[in-house]
Amino acid sequence: MSTCPTKTSEPWRIGVLFSNTGFMALIEETQLRGTLLAIEEINEAGGVNGREIVPVIYDPGSESAAFGQYAKRLMIEDGVTTIFGCYTSSSRKAVLPVVERLNGLLWYPTLYEGFEFSPNVIYTGAAPNQNSVALCRFLMEHYGNRFYFIGSDYIYPRESNRVMRELVRANGGEVVGETYVSFRAQWKDFTPIMRDVRNSSPDIIFSTVVGDATVHLYRSYADFGFDPKVMPIASLTTTEAEIRAMGFDVGEGHITAAPYFQGIGGERNSSFVARYKKRYGEDEPTNMCVEAAYFQVHIFAKALEQANSLDTDVLRPMVLGSTFEAPQGQIVINPSCAHTDLWTRIGRANRAGQFEIVRQSRRPVGADPYLVGYGRATAYA
Amino acid sequence: MKRNDNQRTRPRAWQTGRVLAEMSQLDIVVATRRDEYGEMLIRELQRTRAKVRHLWPLPDMLPSEADVVFCDLVAGLADRIPWIPGDPKAALIVITPQAPPPDIDAMVHCAPDAVLHRPFTTHAILTSLALARSHYLYGQRLRTRIEKLDETLRSMRAVERAKAILMNTRAMREDEAYHFLRRQAMSRRMSISAVAAAIVDANEILR
Repeated sequence: MSTCPTKTSEPWRIGVLFSNTGFMALIEETQLRGTLLAIEEINEAGGVNGREIVPVIYDPGSESAAFGQYAKRLMIEDGVTTIFGCYTSSSRKAVLPVVERLNGLLWYPTLYEGFEFSPNVIYTGAAPNQNSVALCRFLMEHYGNRFYFIGSDYIYPRESNRVMRELVRANGGEVVGETYVSFRAQWKDFTPIMRDVRNSSPDIIFSTVVGDATVHLYRSYADFGFDPKVMPIASLTTTEAEIRAMGFDVGEGHITAAPYFQGIGGERNSSFVARYKKRYGEDEPTNMCVEAAYFQVHIFAKALEQANSLDTDVLRPMVLGSTFEAPQGQIVINPSCAHTDLWTRIGRANRAGQFEIVRQSRRPVGADPYLVGYGRATAYA
Repeated sequence: MKRNDNQRTRPRAWQTGRVLAEMSQLDIVVATRRDEYGEMLIRELQRTRAKVRHLWPLPDMLPSEADVVFCDLVAGLADRIPWIPGDPKAALIVITPQAPPPDIDAMVHCAPDAVLHRPFTTHAILTSLALARSHYLYGQRLRTRIEKLDETLRSMRAVERAKAILMNTRAMREDEAYHFLRRQAMSRRMSISAVAAAIVDANEILR
């Protein structure tokens, strides 16, 4: 019965958990696509050590608890040890105990609030020092120092705002409003908020609203006739996918900080965008979450080739310190914290639903999830 | 020595002790076949004066309202456990069958705190219960500690900022600033991080 593991042609089975339904499907569906595109590319090139990658995919339907339940099912019933998935911090925190207890490996392709380090997670989205710090600086240089915070009511916006508040204060700015809306917030829910914005006349609206509600926020802003040239909505989460959903005219002029935008140029990115469009349609834009979901599967495949095992204890050391030419540029899985050294970019949405790059780092920015290097002084030198 | 002499006069009673005293307070669920070992298990657990509930046939979902769950290792047991691995709500003791050999993967997937092998002795029941309870509570304490550490890491940032504000605005030395924070926290019955956050807030308003 025993088979020599190097000779088998049995597929490598991996788990995939992104919501196809519910209020987070807007963005999580794009992460699923990025994941599948990378898997297809790897399989077309002959798989990993001659073995195909086969994903076991579940749709947690935007419910955090379901992410935990499906992670359990993946690891116990499907015998999977490596899982790609999660957008919201609540869903990541639901999967965390499962992968930690059963020693799995979660690949998390989403920006988040930082202040976490699990030996069972590889973080490939931006930590606050890779987006918030540069964004705050840019906004204060160009628009002013009075911020109004609007976020979805869960872990990420509250924690992210804590970091942003610190940055704003350390640089002589102030937060003139802070409000949180439900994941299911509708257009009408933003009306009183926009009235309050009008009264307090901030220089910048800083949004950590995610999912479908993003569309309603920007539309409500447009209905009030505010001008993005004077008081833009700045975000860490509004990507090309949300801009497309709200309408290009509604999104125009607003600001997002991210490691990747479709419009960054470069040969590697062009061919990535072309493959994505060929696979999913000419109208489908890429975004930072697609890109992270995409490159993390390639990093996984490279590490798997060396490890030739899905055992977390064998695979993870091969992942740490590995580099990859991602569409955003060269990136490194930082061995000290299992987060990724990523590029910092700030984009302004144009009439075509794309972001024009208004600022970018000269090299990848080292991940610092606990903001250790930002000590007590988050003030800009 | 005297205590041991006393106990010899009550051979069927468990030795007294801290662990056993704690056992008498437990709410224990036992989901096992009612064969001779099942009967023995229930009887021995009842002797600890714990509250014992016997469930059989095995329900689709085990109850989570219990301190300890004893359960026969059946195919697909992990599905009947009402929590996800890594976030248990009770100590779990899996009872493996005499034959065929136990499915080790299935056992590990349940993430039990102890295992009881059929056929077992009365002593094995008690040691598995004590071990599972101790292991479960230790895990809970570690999780609490990690949560506290996470929170402390965040609050350290507020304390550092408050210290810098005090040093700048009140011309305090570093040690004086920390001392000030501690004194304020004590006299106001607040945590140091709450005092620090208040100072940071106030400083922004006053500026």
